[in-house]
Amino acid sequence: MSAVRRRRMAGPLFVAPFLTLFLLLFLAPLGYAAYLSLFQNRLIGGNVFVGLDNYTQALGDPQLLHGVGRVALFFVIQVPLMLLLALLFALALDSGLLRLARLIRLGIFVPYAVPSVVAALMWGYLYGPDFGPFAQLSHDLGLPAPDFLSDGWMLGSLANIVTWEFVGYNMIILYAALRTIPQELYEAAAMDGAGAWRIAWSVKLPALKPALLLTLLFSVIGSFQLFNEPNLLMKIAPDVISSSYTANLYAYSLAFTGQQVNYAATVSFLLGLVIVFASYAVLLTANRRRTP
Amino acid sequence: MPNFASASTPSPMSRRLFLSTTGALSLGAALTACGGGDSGGSSAAAKPVAQADIDKAMKTPTELTFWTWVPNIAKEVALFEKKYPAVKIKVVNAGQGTPQYTKLRTALKAGSGAPDMVQIEYQAIPTFTITNSLLDLRPYGASALKSTFVDWTWGQVSGTDGEIWAIPQDTGPMGMLYRKDIFDKHGIEVPTTWDEFAAAARKLHKADPDVYLTNLAANQVAAWHGLLWQAGAKPYATSGKSDITISVDDAVSRKLGAYWGGLAKEGVIGVEPDFTDSWYAALNKGKYATWITAAWGPVFLSGSAKATAGKWRAAPLPQWDTAKPSSGNWGGSTTAVIRSTKNPIAAAVFAQFLNSDPASAKMFATEQFFFPATKALLTDAEFVGDAPSFYGGQKVNQVFADVSSTVNSSFQWPPFLDQAATDWTETVGKSLADHTDTVRALGSWQSRLTTYAKNQGFTVKGG
Amino acid sequence: MTTTTPPATTAPKATAAEPTPRRTRHRSRRSTPLTIAMLAALGYFLLPLCWLLIASTKSTQDLFNSFGLWFSHAPQLLTNVKETFTQDDGVFVHWLLNTALYAVVSALGAALLAAAGGYGFAKFRFRGDRLAFNLVLGAVMVPTTALAIPTYLLFAKAGLVNTPWAIILPSLVNPFGLYLMRIYAADAVPDSLLEAARIDGAGEARIFFRIALRLLGPGLVTVLLFTLVATWNNYFLPLIMLNDPNLYPITVGLASWAAQAQNGGAGASSDMLALVVTGSLLSIVPLVVAFLMLQRYWQSGLAAGGVKQ
Repeated sequence: MSAVRRRRMAGPLFVAPFLTLFLLLFLAPLGYAAYLSLFQNRLIGGNVFVGLDNYTQALGDPQLLHGVGRVALFFVIQVPLMLLLALLFALALDSGLLRLARLIRLGIFVPYAVPSVVAALMWGYLYGPDFGPFAQLSHDLGLPAPDFLSDGWMLGSLANIVTWEFVGYNMIILYAALRTIPQELYEAAAMDGAGAWRIAWSVKLPALKPALLLTLLFSVIGSFQLFNEPNLLMKIAPDVISSSYTANLYAYSLAFTGQQVNYAATVSFLLGLVIVFASYAVLLTANRRRTP
Repeated sequence: MPNFASASTPSPMSRRLFLSTTGALSLGAALTACGGGDSGGSSAAAKPVAQADIDKAMKTPTELTFWTWVPNIAKEVALFEKKYPAVKIKVVNAGQGTPQYTKLRTALKAGSGAPDMVQIEYQAIPTFTITNSLLDLRPYGASALKSTFVDWTWGQVSGTDGEIWAIPQDTGPMGMLYRKDIFDKHGIEVPTTWDEFAAAARKLHKADPDVYLTNLAANQVAAWHGLLWQAGAKPYATSGKSDITISVDDAVSRKLGAYWGGLAKEGVIGVEPDFTDSWYAALNKGKYATWITAAWGPVFLSGSAKATAGKWRAAPLPQWDTAKPSSGNWGGSTTAVIRSTKNPIAAAVFAQFLNSDPASAKMFATEQFFFPATKALLTDAEFVGDAPSFYGGQKVNQVFADVSSTVNSSFQWPPFLDQAATDWTETVGKSLADHTDTVRALGSWQSRLTTYAKNQGFTVKGG
Repeated sequence: MTTTTPPATTAPKATAAEPTPRRTRHRSRRSTPLTIAMLAALGYFLLPLCWLLIASTKSTQDLFNSFGLWFSHAPQLLTNVKETFTQDDGVFVHWLLNTALYAVVSALGAALLAAAGGYGFAKFRFRGDRLAFNLVLGAVMVPTTALAIPTYLLFAKAGLVNTPWAIILPSLVNPFGLYLMRIYAADAVPDSLLEAARIDGAGEARIFFRIALRLLGPGLVTVLLFTLVATWNNYFLPLIMLNDPNLYPITVGLASWAAQAQNGGAGASSDMLALVVTGSLLSIVPLVVAFLMLQRYWQSGLAAGGVKQ
């Protein structure tokens, strides 16, 4: 085989292993899910082709709409807060003003290594309305204890857990980006007489924009797909976290509790569409702002 | 002569292929004639398997998989393996209750990975018979065991056409455990009617705002069903292959809804989820003066609330009608055989042996502290004479054994229990937790279940 | 397909594959207020872990009866640890080993596949390459639940359910790993080097393994580490794929012990709670230690990268 021919074949060959697995483990199940969403498998009557009936039902399903609304709200509140914190932490670490920087950086990152099962266990205990430490402390101080597991607080409590888990991870991404800003930029800024805040604003933030965009995109996807934390807290707050609390949880409950696998596939597809729209919306907004 | 058009090839049909095809076709025809298809349930005549075949199967080296969450069941299994050395049992704990049922359903749907025998609680049996997943045990001699077990348990494992779907293992007749010291301190008599119970709840909470008479967990649909059972309700009734009557908001249910919802609204009972850290702590610290529970409760409590040893006593549930004392059941399991097993005979014999062999059944009571399902054990002097110090020397088992005979035999479960449970938690349970109108929530529960059943192809007759 | 949150990616900067030299600090003053504020933040992040450590020293009864953030009168950490390891015939050890197996194998495989794929996309043009790449990226947006049951059904047909492959195979597909490696390869592997090697007569495979992989080092380590964490902490996928407790990873195993305490009915026991807590502590230790020991590598891997426009 000639070298040129070999080279032309090399590209496909290098990507082949990844793409083959991708096809088998992703596209195939996805296609099967699409197929499933066009049927209904009933306890009485078996498998029935229903065309787009599942989709019409889903679009008018109040439980689904509430679930999507809730994760949208979660996204709007939790993500900016978390990214802001990550940004502040990254800037603080990069500023050179901190003692014990290494310890702090590592400590903030450690929650990322904790599986959500354990995180839910720990925070579930801390949130306990009677015997959790916060409640006991409030009781001792004579203050009314906030019920973290109640209807009004639950979304915030979940947001807290997710923030706790992922701030460090986002912080590291931003910090790594900061570390690559070339020395020359700082020297130029210093020659212009810029102080620390000015440097942060004019030198660091612009360099961070792509990294921020990346973390934002991850967060869009992660928050709309919210599942682990509400699923694990369901045990201790079953009357607040319903089976359709988030859209993803709804799909899961439909499939595994209600044995409505087909409808679950439909819900998942619709959720996927929502995520795609949200992601593109974010991308478009970001790109539009960047071009002057 | 059957048409071989589809099987024919250009080359001449070989004699062997001819014979095997004919054989397959005629067998298929025979099966269809017998009505042994899928949605039919049991065949018209459950022909018994010959004893000779059973003996032969039990001597053939076999390995069976058994899904169960009973701790330390190896001891009972060892008894079986000693009697039938050729059969080896692999015990797998695939989860407890609902998670196991989910796994079982997925495995059955996928057609592989399902076990031979499985532990199934009474309430879950219809969920698996509707999908025709369980093996009718009549051909394997199960009918002979009817008199061994308490009547209402036999009703629970029997199908509409007389099939025997599972063998009872243990039970959970409901009663009440109460804190004698708290009752004495506040001058409260043990309530024998629900009216007395309500009055005691108000009195206790007024005297000590940190204590409640009881906790009706807003996530424990099993307790609710048990109370419905006690009150004589029949929330679910299946008839025929696809008819179902759902009446979870009938008069009896509404009576319960008004009663418990009222107490919750008044704030004189607790409604927190049970079996959580917080609830365990509450029991240990004396936040609840009674626990409405089942016959497995005493042993459980003695292990989980050690700080309160010696202070509890047992009593039957308060009654709606003292002339006709009744109770419901909460929990308890059976052993069933999966229809697709490759070794039906061995599996059926195992299910029967495990739960009816006197030594094995007794071990469940002495090793795992299960409450028995066999008549023999419920009258066994040693069992009912047990007087644990956690209960101040009271013969707790005797109390529950007496209750066991008052559990009525005609309560039925829906063929989609998990869905019913989730819907209850989100409607009725939530109304208890939020102190809103429980009777209205019952209506929501009814409509949710009706919609679900209709979507699943049932013909629903409302209650 | 990894079913948990995607790993970090940062694209390498055009300049170099070595860490840029640290900025010299003109100011030697440190800000104490800022340090205190950050230490307070640190306290928030470590608080639950402190609780976990303290709770692991308590018996189940003490968990209910003592104040959460301080020790009980009779600490029994060693007893708890011993019981955790011996419960259910030592299944906890199985869980730890399973988790390590799934995570390490998946991480190595994912890194290699992503590296080869990223290299292929970055350095070669072929028909459909853009479409394929964008398709892979778009894959991340599909909710995991959409794929769970269909994947299960397909795996069941292939007889892979309830085997380690059910966990490892999906974890080998890491779209963000591919994205990262593609960008990294585009920058860190100069075309001129490849041309030179080709002129010398080296075959494509040889070029990849001998030259490219070495240059891709830090990016590889990043993908490896983050796939490791994702697979280590994966809960949903093993939950539905595995029936046999001996195959569970630590996440599903701990959840099953917790469930034993949280379900009523005969057979329930609250005694498991102390073991769940201790088991949770033990499950975090390996990863934290690994991160501490390897921080030099992953920090340089991320730092060596920058962010590409």
